[in-house]
Parts: sequence; structure tokens; C-alpha cells
Amino acid sequence: MTEYKMFEGCTIGNRIPFIEAASRKVFEKVNIETSDAPFSCCPDPTGMKSFDNDAWLTLGAMNLCLAEAEGKDIISLCNGCTNTLRGVRYQLKHDNLKKEKVNAELSKIGKEYKGTIDVRHFVDVLKENIDKVKAAVTKPLTGLKVACHPGCHYMRPAEWMESDDPMRPTTLKKLVEASGASVVDYDELALCCGNAVAGAYPEHGDAILNKKLDSIKKAGANCIVVNCPACFQRMDSEQLTQKTLKQLYSIPILYVTELLALAMGYSADEIGLKFHRTRRGTVIENL
Amino acid sequence: MSIDFEFRKQVMDFHVHDVIKYCYQCSRCTDNCPVAAVSMDFYTTTGYNPRSNILNALLGYKDAIFDADPLTIWGCTVCDTCDELCPQNIELTEIFTFLKNESTKLGKAPDSIYGQAQAIFDSAKAIPSQPAIERRREQLGLPAVEAPNLEDVQSLLKAIGADKKLK
Repeated sequence: MTEYKMFEGCTIGNRIPFIEAASRKVFEKVNIETSDAPFSCCPDPTGMKSFDNDAWLTLGAMNLCLAEAEGKDIISLCNGCTNTLRGVRYQLKHDNLKKEKVNAELSKIGKEYKGTIDVRHFVDVLKENIDKVKAAVTKPLTGLKVACHPGCHYMRPAEWMESDDPMRPTTLKKLVEASGASVVDYDELALCCGNAVAGAYPEHGDAILNKKLDSIKKAGANCIVVNCPACFQRMDSEQLTQKTLKQLYSIPILYVTELLALAMGYSADEIGLKFHRTRRGTVIENL
Repeated sequence: MSIDFEFRKQVMDFHVHDVIKYCYQCSRCTDNCPVAAVSMDFYTTTGYNPRSNILNALLGYKDAIFDADPLTIWGCTVCDTCDELCPQNIELTEIFTFLKNESTKLGKAPDSIYGQAQAIFDSAKAIPSQPAIERRREQLGLPAVEAPNLEDVQSLLKAIGADKKLK
């Protein structure tokens, strides 16, 4: 049995830990073993990378070194963390100048990045174990009409991620179908949630989110399933705090591991569904 | 508008595969950019425009990029769509990362960028731990998050000189 190093990331670990609780429960049912490590911020591929690319590469490599020291692959619960760790791994593999520069820095803290381990997005690991996922489902979620939102950094850039079709992703749909829920297709599947631009230009971020939610509503979905904590927080919070979005949509968001945990028989209380912000008067109240 | 050859060289060097020089301005990046779609006016004189950023970077028109409205650089939402759709396989987002790094040095980045970097410098996490969340983790039956080595993170950031860019 492969044991992975768990990379829950800052957002899930230190802000929305109920998602980690659901994920750990699902991993247990599917026999995915994990252990923890003292990882720092991955760091953020939209924030820290924009601040200083060398810092992004070096801290990313430092985190990879921690897993490398134990000879174990990383399983990440977050699109951003997976994107950073896979991106750093890709760039250091294909650019020797960068690798030498990063290792010169790492030597100051007694570390060396070799490039011997892999980084997996949890969605890809679950897909490989889809038969076990299906076998663990005891309470199929028939009646849920799900719009999938895999998010940008799970599949783009394709060279780094090697996960799914970068513009027509399918993995998340397969996992949702395994839960017994039905998948609703919509036009803006590959559209960003607008999170990174919303920091400085909320008007543009909101216009993008509005377009996304509008497409989802038109398709007739009553629930959105995501596999990224940044997308989760953005969709869950903005629909509560922005009056127009709340009136127009109020579509609840579930993390794919929450959806699977519910289908595997865990109760809403056990996985902390009450901590969601967009939930009143929606389908998830009855779950 | 003057050409800055040093800047042009930096752009070329930053782009790992150096294919940026094959850009023929087809505008597939801008046509598929989610921010361009919601921020540009009909005559495309305002708003976020990745195609023109690539052109200005390639030609070395440094002033046209850094003296303009910060939206010119910071309108990018890092969705990597342009990277996938570019017929010349240009990693546009890598070029935009370089432009953002330079803008940060000039003190022109959005506050959220400095804020996150400061949090990482101070706590090794973009989102530091809080007592309320630690209690919630316990209630949910989760183990405590293992504390990262802050000293290592700070030494690395100082060695790179990233700490000097903080505000």
C-alpha cells in the first residue's frame, strides 16, 4: 500500500478544515493512506508567484524536499498547491539553471532538491480507485443535479498538470456520477471563478463569477461540486455576502469529498456541513 | 516610447522555451481571456489585454507596460487559458509572472500581493493558524496542523532578497 504525504494547504487546514475532515473520511473508505509533514505554504501560484518567482520556486522545492526525505509522493487537497508543487517540479526538471540556483539557496538550510517524488491531485488518485469509491457508496445521492467546476489549476497548464483535458475536463464528472448524483452539463465548464483578479479588481472578478453562475443556473443544476478550496470559498461566500448574487442564485457548493462522504453514509454533522455559508433554503439542507 | 533592450533580454531569458518571439499577434489569447471579456470596451482602448502585453514585452516597450494603469499587468487572473490556446505554444502566464514580479519591485502591485507575502514571511503560511480554527479542527476529529519551520522559510526569503520587496 502506497502511503502519501498529506498536503492540505493553508486554506483548507487553517480556514475551512471541514473539507479536510470529509476528505480524510473518504480516503479511509477507499484505503488511501496518508501521513503528515511540517509543510509551509506551497506557496500560492497566483499570489506568491506573482510577488517573486524565485521565492515561489525555492519554497516549493523546500516542501518537495520534505516529502523526498521520506521517499513518499504528495497527495494534495487543493488545486493551487498541486499547481505550485507540480509546476516547480516541472520547471526544475526542464531548466537546469533554475535547479542549480534553487539548490544553491536550499543548501543554506541543509537541503537539496533531487526530483525523485511525484505530486498527485486527490481527484486523480480517487479516479484511479473509482471501483473502490463506487463500492463504498451506500447512500446514492439520486436527485442531486450537479454542475461540476474543476477550476483552472487542476488541469492547466497541461504540461505541468498531466491530469485531464485542459479545456474539456471529465474526471470530476466521473467522481460525481459515482456518488449516484447526476451531472448537468453547462457552457462555462472551463471558466475561471475569477478569484485571483478579484483581489485588486472585484468588479471584474464578480462579472466572471456572475457569468459562471448564470450558465450553471440556466442548465438547471441545484448544486455545484468543486475540487478547489479557493473556488469553494469564492462561490460559497460571495453568494452570501453579495445581495444580487444571493437573490439571483443561492446555489449551494459541495467539495467533491463532501459529496462522496455523504454518499458513503456519513451524516451532515459528521463532516461539518453547517459551516457552509450558502445553504439556507437549498438542497443541501435535506442531506 | 523607447525600446529598453535590457528589459527585452530579461523577457526572453525568463521564458523557458523562448518561443515568445514567434508571436504573430493572432489575438487568440485576448479573445479567450475571461478578464478581457468583462473589462474591454468595444474599441479595445481600455481593459485588460494579454495580446498587447506580449507585444510590448517582446518589443521592449517597458514604459508602455509599467507606466500604464496597473490593470495592464494585474488584470490577469492566472487561469492559464491563454497558455492552452496559443497556437505558438507560448507560456504567456510565465511572461505575465515576470511583469508582475517587476511591478512588485516598483511598489505597484495590489495590496493583497504584499499582504500574502508578508503573511508567509511572518508565519510560513499564506493563511496563519487561529485558535478558533484549531478548536474546530479538534471538534472535527482532525490532528493539529504540523508547524512548518519558520526559520528556514525566513532564511530562504532573505537569501533570495524577497524580503526587500515587502512593504
